[in-house]
Amino acid sequence: MVNEVYSQSRSRLQDYEPIVGRSCLEELRILAEELGGKIVQNINSTFVGGGVAEILEHMVPLLNQLGVDARWDVIQGSDEFFEVTKKFHNALHGKEEKISADDFALFAEVTQQNLEEARLYGDILFVHDPQPVGLIARKKEMGRKWVWRCHIDVSNPDKKVWRFLRGFVVDYDAAVFSAPAFAQQLPIRQFLITPSIDPLSDKNKELDSGMIDATLTKYGLTSDKPMIVQVSRFDRLKDPLGVIEAFEMVKKSIDCQLVLAGGTADDDPESEEVLADVRKRAEGNPDIHVLLVPTGSDLEINALQRAATIIMQKSLKEGFGLTISEALWKAKPVVATAVGGIPLQIRNKFTGLLCHTVEGAAYALRQLLNNSEYANRLGQNGKEHVRQNFLITSHLQNYLLMFLALDHPEDIIHL
Amino acid sequence: MLDWLSENWLSIAVPVVLFLATYVVGLWTRRSAYRAFDRWASRAKWEGSHLVVQVTRTPFLAWIVILGAYIAIHVSVLEDSTKAVADKVLAALFVVSVTWMAASLAEKLIRLYIGRVERLRPSEGLLVNIARITIAVIGGLILLDAWGVPTTPIYLLLAAGILVAIFVFRDLLTNVFSSFQLAQGEQIKVGDFVRLESGEGGYITAVTWRNTQIRGLDGNLILVPNSRLLQTTVINYGRPLKKASAPFRFYSRLHLKEVTGLKACDLAELLSTLKKVPGSVIYYHTHNFLEEHQYLTPEPANDFSLWVSDELGDEVLGEKLASIDTFGFPTIAALRARIIGVIEDYLAKNPNGRAASPGREFRFIRSISVVLPTPYIAHDLREFVEVLRKISINSLSFHIFEARLRLQKGVNDFSIWIQDCLGDNDLADRLAYLDPYNYTLEGLRSTIIQLIEKRIK
Repeated sequence: MVNEVYSQSRSRLQDYEPIVGRSCLEELRILAEELGGKIVQNINSTFVGGGVAEILEHMVPLLNQLGVDARWDVIQGSDEFFEVTKKFHNALHGKEEKISADDFALFAEVTQQNLEEARLYGDILFVHDPQPVGLIARKKEMGRKWVWRCHIDVSNPDKKVWRFLRGFVVDYDAAVFSAPAFAQQLPIRQFLITPSIDPLSDKNKELDSGMIDATLTKYGLTSDKPMIVQVSRFDRLKDPLGVIEAFEMVKKSIDCQLVLAGGTADDDPESEEVLADVRKRAEGNPDIHVLLVPTGSDLEINALQRAATIIMQKSLKEGFGLTISEALWKAKPVVATAVGGIPLQIRNKFTGLLCHTVEGAAYALRQLLNNSEYANRLGQNGKEHVRQNFLITSHLQNYLLMFLALDHPEDIIHL
Repeated sequence: MLDWLSENWLSIAVPVVLFLATYVVGLWTRRSAYRAFDRWASRAKWEGSHLVVQVTRTPFLAWIVILGAYIAIHVSVLEDSTKAVADKVLAALFVVSVTWMAASLAEKLIRLYIGRVERLRPSEGLLVNIARITIAVIGGLILLDAWGVPTTPIYLLLAAGILVAIFVFRDLLTNVFSSFQLAQGEQIKVGDFVRLESGEGGYITAVTWRNTQIRGLDGNLILVPNSRLLQTTVINYGRPLKKASAPFRFYSRLHLKEVTGLKACDLAELLSTLKKVPGSVIYYHTHNFLEEHQYLTPEPANDFSLWVSDELGDEVLGEKLASIDTFGFPTIAALRARIIGVIEDYLAKNPNGRAASPGREFRFIRSISVVLPTPYIAHDLREFVEVLRKISINSLSFHIFEARLRLQKGVNDFSIWIQDCLGDNDLADRLAYLDPYNYTLEGLRSTIIQLIEKRIK
């Protein structure tokens, strides 16, 4: 197992004070003090790439700034091992995967190697996702508190894979899921901690109008008519064709434009095909703009969202769907389907509009385009909702609370 | 020797006689003059007049002696060069005595005036020393001038030194002058409760020549430079209000959500599960909306109502559940019984309700409250209302919602303290009858503050 001296977070804790208020940071400091110097050892499979690494990259330095001795280690594994865990990942998401007995054997073998080599020293061992889940075998020998953090939507997992992983998970002291629907029947405590966005990151920070205008110019867009934007990779599950269909229904009565912005995924050969289909479907309609945005263009995505009149997320299936929180943070009215973690972020008619069909999406778009005051109110409510529940400071707070709750089974804990 | 005296007795006698005569006349003049001064001092309205008379009385004797010596020396037969030296010595003695007198007078006048203003007392020693040094320097310069020492470089050096000192101690000097202004204005006194533009507030514990000390609401000492205090907007609420028999300690409460693993697909399952889940689950689902959407318009519905309406499509039951007035129940058990009662009644008449679609089941979540102390303590209503402005909405929620319902106190914490420790039953009742579910949390904070402010006035 490798321990890295990871880079310091780009943001300092006090930078969040103007956004969340002083009292929020005061409460975080009190919670951190209560941990009393316990070492929190985070373990995952990689320092770079992927959502988990991105979260830990921000979270660990911020925990350190609060005085928590949080550290981060990764397990070792061959390419074959990570191919197997990729299959596990997809299967847990509900995708059909062919997983053989050899795959399970390889997982067990690499887990055994890591068990022999791993330096496990934390008072709280915080294990992220399925790859290092087997490290729990050391619990009998060393004790301590063990928590498994599941970042995946396991609301409809492949039963064989889940049964295999469940054998490890039940030995943990607690598991953490991102949404109630992702939780499972387990004999251990299960906490609900939603993921978060960083309001100071390139994707979410405030932008000046110059940057927004430059991005519009770069992609040949104008702000002379209302702009409906969906930002997501070209994937059938994001239903880009359904978005176009809904837009065309709206376009009959309201002059507006549609922007479908996103990238293609290297590990998804279908995405190129989806992009081609979308381009073909949009052909001949000058008000539909299909933009292939390169990976890492966070500032441009931010600018497109800020330029939008309405942001859409018409997914057919979704994990937690943090793009919703990103859109709401920009105080934009959002129309999204009620799937995955989206209903946690959008309370229908309070912080955005939920839909289930193309027709429903078109109706919601018309409502918002015809009632700018209503749209603004939803946007403002949405922003406050994100401020209270889906910023990285809330995420930090929930982790600290969860670490403390490990020693307290009671409903009300007095510190 | 005797021969020399017999030949020159006149050159000795004349100076001696003149010295004695000057001394006698001087004593008479002093007595007459001081009688007149004493009368003037008694009549004068200026309190420093007695000090002037008192301080100059002793040096006057020295001045008579110096004058007598000067006359005697000048009528004597001493050589001119000796006379010149004697003049310088006498001038030096005169300058020293005048300097000593001026320093003494300055000290007494400073102590007279500063001593009357309590907040400037700490700076008395500093001002006396500044006056003494200034007068001594002026006296020294005059003395050097009298002895013919070139003083221009010293003046330049002094001027430069003063400029440097002003530059180095500019903040200090600004604060010292500001402390005079504060004292003169008498707008801020020790014991007053003030709130600064920055939001900091507390009781003033001391005003020194450099800063004003405020005991903050979290118990920390805030030192505000006097110059800053003059430049900022300060609300002075005046003297402390009635002190509580015991202080109010503010706590905060944070929630962690724990999934129970229980879920309901239809009304029957909802009902049966509601009967067995812990109270923390009922609390979560009746307060979750309020907590997560605390910025929204009041009257949020409970989760049961929203699920029944949105997922089961049963708006009638949804409305019945939404209309359950959480404020009307003193305990979670009573609230649970009411929710169960409403569903049971409805099910008895409508047994064939529809089920939620897969993935849209009602999932029961348990709320774990972590209660933590904040640094804020209030000893009276003024401190209480100022802390209310600062605390997080989590703290407000804890004392208003959680204390009443979850800790089963029946009434919110604020009312209990105001009644038990301040004896203000009227205000306590007003807060107790305030239905917090009718406000956003910020609106609730603002309403409570207004009620207390009104009472303080």
